[in-house]
Amino acid sequence: MTPLPYRLLEQFLPSASADAIIGDLTERHVTGLRLWRETIVALWHLRDRTPRTVEPMSSFLTDVRIALRLLGRAPTFTTTAVLTLGVAIGAATAIFSVANPVILQPLPYRNPDRVVMVWEQDQDGSRSTVGFTTIRDYIDRATTFESAAALGDWQPTLLEGTEAERLQGLRVSASYFHTLGVKPALGRDFRADEDRAGVPRVVILSDALWQRRFGGDPAVIGRSISLGGTAMTVVGIMPKDFDDVAMTGAQIWRVLGYATTDVFACRTCRHLRMIARLKDGVSVERAQTELTRIHRAIVAEHPKEYATKGTQVVPLQQEVTRAYRPAILALATAVALMLIIAIANVANLQLARLVRRDEEFAIRTALGASAPRLARQLFTEALVIAVFGGLAGVGVAAVAIPALVRQLPPQLPRLGAIGLDRVALALVGGIVLVLAIVVGVAPRRARRIENVAEGLRSGRRLTAMRHATIRGALVVAELAFALMLLVGAGLLARSVIHLLDVDKGFDAGNLLTMEINSVGPRYEDAAAVYQYHDRVRDAVRSLPGVVSVAVVNQLPLGGNMDMYGVTAQDKPSSNPEDVPSGDRYVVSADYLRTMRIRVLEGRAFTEADERDTTNMVALVSQALAARIWPGESAIGKRIRMGAEHRAFRTIIGVTANVRHSGLDATETQQFYVPERQWFFADNQEMLVIRTRGEPAAMAGAVRRAIQQIDPAQPIVKVAAMEQVVAASTAQRRLALTLFACFAIASVLLAVAGIYGVLAGNVAERTREIGLRAALGATPRNILALVVGQGARLAVLGLGFGLLGAFALTGSLRALLFGVAAHDPTTITLATLLLLATTLLACLVPALRAVRVDPSEAFRTD
Amino acid sequence: MLGELEQIVLLAVLRVGDGAYGVPVHEEIVRLARRDLTLGTVYKTLSRLEEKGLVRSFEGDPTPQRGGRRTRCFAVTTAGRKALESTFATLRRMAVGLDVGLEPT
Repeated sequence: MTPLPYRLLEQFLPSASADAIIGDLTERHVTGLRLWRETIVALWHLRDRTPRTVEPMSSFLTDVRIALRLLGRAPTFTTTAVLTLGVAIGAATAIFSVANPVILQPLPYRNPDRVVMVWEQDQDGSRSTVGFTTIRDYIDRATTFESAAALGDWQPTLLEGTEAERLQGLRVSASYFHTLGVKPALGRDFRADEDRAGVPRVVILSDALWQRRFGGDPAVIGRSISLGGTAMTVVGIMPKDFDDVAMTGAQIWRVLGYATTDVFACRTCRHLRMIARLKDGVSVERAQTELTRIHRAIVAEHPKEYATKGTQVVPLQQEVTRAYRPAILALATAVALMLIIAIANVANLQLARLVRRDEEFAIRTALGASAPRLARQLFTEALVIAVFGGLAGVGVAAVAIPALVRQLPPQLPRLGAIGLDRVALALVGGIVLVLAIVVGVAPRRARRIENVAEGLRSGRRLTAMRHATIRGALVVAELAFALMLLVGAGLLARSVIHLLDVDKGFDAGNLLTMEINSVGPRYEDAAAVYQYHDRVRDAVRSLPGVVSVAVVNQLPLGGNMDMYGVTAQDKPSSNPEDVPSGDRYVVSADYLRTMRIRVLEGRAFTEADERDTTNMVALVSQALAARIWPGESAIGKRIRMGAEHRAFRTIIGVTANVRHSGLDATETQQFYVPERQWFFADNQEMLVIRTRGEPAAMAGAVRRAIQQIDPAQPIVKVAAMEQVVAASTAQRRLALTLFACFAIASVLLAVAGIYGVLAGNVAERTREIGLRAALGATPRNILALVVGQGARLAVLGLGFGLLGAFALTGSLRALLFGVAAHDPTTITLATLLLLATTLLACLVPALRAVRVDPSEAFRTD
Repeated sequence: MLGELEQIVLLAVLRVGDGAYGVPVHEEIVRLARRDLTLGTVYKTLSRLEEKGLVRSFEGDPTPQRGGRRTRCFAVTTAGRKALESTFATLRRMAVGLDVGLEPT
């Protein structure tokens, strides 16, 4: 046995040098460490320095040239393979590019894993916003927080020059930015002493607002600006890249400035959100345990003010993506499945092509090409296809990502951060490259031509049979995954159909909606606001094409949550939290008629109710009436909204239920009150206009008519009601669209795969089939032979697919509506559809087999 | 002007004389120069000298104690001798009159 050092020397040194050195070492009996030292120095000094890279490099380029020429000669194969890979890579990259910033990357704050959101938890396990006094108690008693803050929505109107603009903002505790872990880029953060009632108000602006409205002028710091008629001082500007995940696109922040004596600071006034930064080393679970204990103690101290049973502590990261996580994860699953199918299909194509190229390889071997040389050729071909596929993928992703972002709900956090994710592209591209090469080269290992003559003579049939097994397995996998996607798409389609079928309670057709405002010193008096609304309604009603018009404080399905507790005079409740709450609809008389909301009992409002401020009236929805007075008529009963000192009003009618918070939400309860009978005037209202024709066409005329009354008031959110409804189902429709696309692509690929296997098989077995026919097999026997083979693959694939579908649809559950995750109808239909398509694909090669003429068959070779 | 290693190796080949190859050349260096060079270094230096035309090499015969491997023999060429002479002449000129014990004896 030659010692390792000698072998190394022989391997790496020119043979003359190796002989001389090894000879000398042997002669001197050099061993042990000394031998190794000699060897290493010799290897270093005497290694073969003739440039080695020249030959392989040029031969690599030759390989590429040959590969390009060969692929060019098989345009169908090349196009199919490149497009398949391109679509798969592009789709996967696009989905991961969206998923990465939205749900995977940590939030861009200091130690983002420390930040949590805190909710009160209702009896039924659902969570709710928190009251100010409760938050104060939490903060006073908790030991697990480093800092904490309350936040509430705030939409002020900025009056700057002659232009009024509605801003999206938040009212926050002074500790808010510190808790998130960000600092203003310019100016300063809020100070604790500013977070009190009655002190001069200060605000911090977003960089975008600062640039747009104040030209990026640093002198704005310390300046007073007018927000909804109140002067507030700008103290800071947030950094350009700061995105407040608590309210995507927030433009302005002001201090909360609550006092516990404020009426809206009561324990039952649950309208604030709470964030907290946990101390180092404190787990979310520990904070959760502590807060639950604190909450129980607070409830015990104030039993009449809490119906909530506990608290929920949720990491902020999880919180902001909660709503979108199911859809994005489902899509990621779908795209991963499609990626696998695409790769399986390309592998299949490669294998089919290899069978046809056996003779080519045998001849090249005979002409002296070594086995590694041929393997390198195949490797290069796979590489070329993968690279072209990758380039096509970049193109697909570049088109798909903006299209996908347009489909996403705009309130999705960190939408701005979505772009072609290079990491995702590199990752997906890398996976595909490796797999494409593996499937391109691996078949060579499965077949090895022991001798050239054998290869030329019979290798073709032998290898064809081995390949048929691999290809069969690939087809089974493709069918299985295609079925999973098809079932997913089917379930989502049924959900969306169910959803759009839901009785919304109103008629969304031919309805134009927009937000109108009445802000500034002119509208401090409620009467001025009502008068403005009357003038707007009159102006719009007189436009040609307008059927009726009404104002309302919020739209159903518009994403608002304006609710009040409803107390019945004849059914008092000991705990204010136990009273049912209703969506507040403060309306002008024509609202129900304009929305076509049915009045089931009693009557709708009239203009007389509008003017009458002594006989207070209300309408309630059927669900609210049934909740308070089950089995009784609500007409004539008296209810009170809000705090105890508010007056009771008489119910004059019961309306049909309206879907308020979502088409899939459990029915919510509404009450309706005439505008002038509510206890304050809303400065921000929705205008609903029933039109004769296309509502969008009326938008310009309506806007001009309103602006003639007061040009300083912003008109925003102009949309047809159908758009508002559609937007509320956006997430599901997006998931459905993508799932359906993936499913169709996968079914096509799988069917093409099974067709390819059978067609190839029939071509290979022409002689055998001819023999069978000659020996008396009927066309029916031959048909059964081929179709039977296809059916075996189909049944196996569908069997695995069913198992997979059960696993997959569980992850879809959050997106389903009105249909079970394992809905037998959907699963059966999808299975039958795929089975029928597959058998159809089998029929073509089967018929070709039937037409085989025995006398021709024996002449093929 | 030859480098130090080149001088030592050239002198060692001259001292061994006919059929000088790795083992005896190396032994001569260890004995007289008291330098524990590796064979690799010696061969590397010899190759450099060969490139410069100062030594020439030829294949010797395999012997049983070498495990049947051939030797690579070296001989100093005329150019090699001239290079050594020139190097020594230079050293001598530089040392003349220094009176620190460097004059050639």
